[in-house]
Amino acid sequence: MKSTARTTSLKKTILVLILTIFAQATGNVFLSMRMKEIGSNDWSIFLVRAVESPTFWFGTALLIVSFIFFVTALSWADLSFVVPAVSAEVVVNVVFAKYFLNEIVSLTRWTGVLFISIGVILVLRSERQKVHLENREILTRVDR
Amino acid sequence: MKTAILIAMMVLGDSAGDVFLTRGMRQVGEISAPHPKALLTIGARVISNKSFLCGILFMTVTFVSFLIVISWADLSLVFPAKSLVYVLSTLGAKFFLEETVTIQRWTGIVLVCLGVTLTSLP
Repeated sequence: MKSTARTTSLKKTILVLILTIFAQATGNVFLSMRMKEIGSNDWSIFLVRAVESPTFWFGTALLIVSFIFFVTALSWADLSFVVPAVSAEVVVNVVFAKYFLNEIVSLTRWTGVLFISIGVILVLRSERQKVHLENREILTRVDR
Repeated sequence: MKTAILIAMMVLGDSAGDVFLTRGMRQVGEISAPHPKALLTIGARVISNKSFLCGILFMTVTFVSFLIVISWADLSLVFPAKSLVYVLSTLGAKFFLEETVTIQRWTGIVLVCLGVTLTSLP
């Protein structure tokens, strides 16, 4: 299936991707908080105690919202752009884990965060160039 | 061996899910919502789209194999394997969705993949 010319602007796509990332990361913090509160090794007790807490459902709801934003972005942009762009969620997850869950983040993880950040910048640049090229193509077609 | 199969199912399911979800969304068309009511109609079209449902099915396979495999396998093996999804989904986008993937984009994706592997290590 050939990708057709898109009408949704890159800015709007990036905004929705940022919402995807933050909804996902916040959802994870809530779920993780609840799971740590329970801290049981027994799966059945774990599950029962998880589902009776509002924190758990709030976290789950945020993950569903994040998924809706994700597929919305997929309707606008390339999969090969959306998937790596959303990987910025790993960066946000690490930062949230450090500040909201007080986890210790190792140097290896911070190196990973750096790699992901550079990768996401490259992918963003490639998408901007692509949109630019497509627009120029449309303009030349109109000229003729 | 059992671990390897489950990890493969998890990774391939995730990428296949991405490809099918994208195909479904393209078939439905770009989402734009002037009214909340229009959003509901689009939502109904999305969840009745076969490719989209196929994508959800693959995502479910991924999630279930992930849950099973983390119940016994070493997490430092399972999480780095997940980062392969970035490369596989891009290959899927290139070959099944006919997206153009430039060298710059490939470089970015490989860096993301390495970065995700590093963050999944202790």
